Amino acid sequence: MNALRAELLKAVTTRLLLWFGLGLLAFLVLVLSIHIGSHDLEGLSELSTQRSTLAFGGLAAIVAVLIGSLLVTGEYAHGTINQSLLAVPVREKLLGAKLTAAVIVVFAIAVLTDAATLLIAEIWYQGRGVSLHLGRETLAPFLGAVGASMLAGGIGVGIGALLRRQTGAIVAILLWLLIGEGVITAVGDASRFAPGHALGAVVAAHEVGSRDMLGVWPAAVVGLLYAAIFCGAGFLVVLGSDAPSSGD
Amino acid sequence: MIEVEHLTKRYRNATAVDDLSFSVPRGRITGFLGPNGAGKTTTLRVLLGLALPTSGRATVAGRRYRDLSAPLRSVGAVLEASNYHPARSGRSHLRVLAAAAGISRARVDRVLAEVELSDAAKRRVGGYSLGMRQRLSVAGALLGEPELLVLDEPANGLDPEGIRWLRNFLRSFAGRGGTVFVSSHVLAEMSRLADEVVIIHRGRLVAHQSVSELTLQAAGATRVRSPRADELLGRLSDAGVEAESTGAGTLAVNAPPEQVGDLAAEAGIPLHELVADPGSLEEAFLELTAEPEPQQ
Repeated sequence: MNALRAELLKAVTTRLLLWFGLGLLAFLVLVLSIHIGSHDLEGLSELSTQRSTLAFGGLAAIVAVLIGSLLVTGEYAHGTINQSLLAVPVREKLLGAKLTAAVIVVFAIAVLTDAATLLIAEIWYQGRGVSLHLGRETLAPFLGAVGASMLAGGIGVGIGALLRRQTGAIVAILLWLLIGEGVITAVGDASRFAPGHALGAVVAAHEVGSRDMLGVWPAAVVGLLYAAIFCGAGFLVVLGSDAPSSGD
Repeated sequence: MIEVEHLTKRYRNATAVDDLSFSVPRGRITGFLGPNGAGKTTTLRVLLGLALPTSGRATVAGRRYRDLSAPLRSVGAVLEASNYHPARSGRSHLRVLAAAAGISRARVDRVLAEVELSDAAKRRVGGYSLGMRQRLSVAGALLGEPELLVLDEPANGLDPEGIRWLRNFLRSFAGRGGTVFVSSHVLAEMSRLADEVVIIHRGRLVAHQSVSELTLQAAGATRVRSPRADELLGRLSDAGVEAESTGAGTLAVNAPPEQVGDLAAEAGIPLHELVADPGSLEEAFLELTAEPEPQQ
């Protein structure tokens, strides 16, 4: 419990979360404005459009994977991993605390992102004179965004532990999201099992899947498997390696 | 207090520590000396669980560091002064450590005062001078009120005032019954501070003795001045003692002053000066860690 408290304190005593939060908010305003502004009134009234509008809260999952990785790689980048291991020398315990802290932090970020998405969408819809239907049909992606973010946070911690280099981890994640997920679409139906596709399906929260997208529960299981694989591999690397040093 | 037993640490192509064994007794200040690259930092990092040994073990009070039930309450460690997040304040840094070890926030403010950093507690560590960072490291080491301090080159980058502060602090800590194990290459400082020293070279132990024993071994020639220096030189030579004239009635004699004085007295030769050239830790260190001459 002490180790978890320390990890949460680490997360909130730098401006990392603040900058990510502000960046995410600005991006949400931009993409929601384009999305809502580009539909006609009839289209905006459709429940499917409203559902896809509110699914933009799923952007939190992208931030979540980056935050998860930074909570680990930031320690290596600044050398603070040495202090952390002095305070919590049982590495399994330290990594467990990091994983739990990352999940808690990205949970909070996902909830706030959902709230911001709802607020921005409501303002736009009111401005265009269309009522936003708030029911199970449209709000399901909110829960999906929270779930996908928590899974993404876990995957991020695993990638961070695996690579331990801050720039390398961020570049790897962004390359995969921007290029890898697109390229893998070429393999056909199997692309549904790619990490980005699977987490996207969790956000979309459709109970029944399609050729392009898994249903929410199979997608959640796939996401959980990715988190377990990355964390398992990353934790093994950390357990079997020395903390960085510049001495002799 | 500290036991290092047959410790070996190899990296890909290099052996940093090679079958090293020594122990550090409780309640004393033990210096850990060696040239750059001798393996001091590696040894300390294995001791503190930051590096994994290839073989052998290093323990504190009979346990590996990771097996200590409350590590920060047993061992305070001062490592590189760069192990900080630059955007975190000094107080936040210590609060993180305190939270991890279940130490109260009030203790954070007390140690900040102890290292004279209270005024800078809210400032970001990125704006701290090297000396302030070292003090923050010491504050972190003191958080858990440990009985053992392990310090790696704590005087690095400190100005004379900072070095004096550190010396007084460590003496005060040891005076309260604490144990200090400190690595350094500032030999003059170490000779003033340490009770005993462990010297390693190329990862191997070359000496583990008290500072006074070491400096005695390194003691140089006896300087003697006499109005009858030439006669004394002959007497010394007859007695099988190596000596040479260094000019102006002065001799350098390779024998203790007592022996020189007795020989002069037996011969009735007056002496105007009889001085033992005191050895230094630096001389002892350089002798012990000297590289062998390349063979022709």
